[in-house]
Amino acid sequence: MKAGAFRLVAGATGLLFLGSGLALFVAFFAYQRPGSEPALPMGPLGHYFAAFAGCALLGWGGAVLAGARDLATGRLLAPVTATALVAMAVYRMLGWFMGDYYAWAGETLRYEAALFLALALAFVWLRPAPERRYA
Amino acid sequence: MMRWLATAVILALFALNLWMPSSPLGRRGSERVARAHVPALTAWVGQTLPALAFEDLDGRAVSTVDLLGHPLLLVFERSVDW
Repeated sequence: MKAGAFRLVAGATGLLFLGSGLALFVAFFAYQRPGSEPALPMGPLGHYFAAFAGCALLGWGGAVLAGARDLATGRLLAPVTATALVAMAVYRMLGWFMGDYYAWAGETLRYEAALFLALALAFVWLRPAPERRYA
Repeated sequence: MMRWLATAVILALFALNLWMPSSPLGRRGSERVARAHVPALTAWVGQTLPALAFEDLDGRAVSTVDLLGHPLLLVFERSVDW
């Protein structure tokens, strides 16, 4: 039951990261087309960092998906994934607090922060137990 | 032990996230402060623009005095475009 729930959360999170990473990676290449209109309100430097984040998300998403398939790997990945999710929530909350993003993001930053905190809590409590190895 | 500590931190952040919109600080607090200054700022409406000196994107000095007789739109932006 708990293992199934972990697989579900890790699988959904992995797919979310893979999708977001791919979108950010593709956004960089779309921006390089002559005369293109950026999908995100950013210039060359912003797209450079978006592509960097996209590559990292592709790797992280793949790792979390591997954790959904193999619970021993999932056990190793759960704490670091929860920590990174909390960090992602904290900077979104500060971003909402400062108000710089409100004009085009509205309350989205707070909702995303709540989602990431809920996912972090799930990774903390659904973390698979250590495997029992018998000689 | 670590699991409960992590849970306490996450729940505290969750509560902070819920509380933020009603906080006197932050975005809405800043707006309230800005609105409080609006009556004083409107006293500028209709007044002559004082002489201001800027540097354009090519590094050339520009003064508002040089722009007299031309339509002028001044836009103040906080941050650079990334």
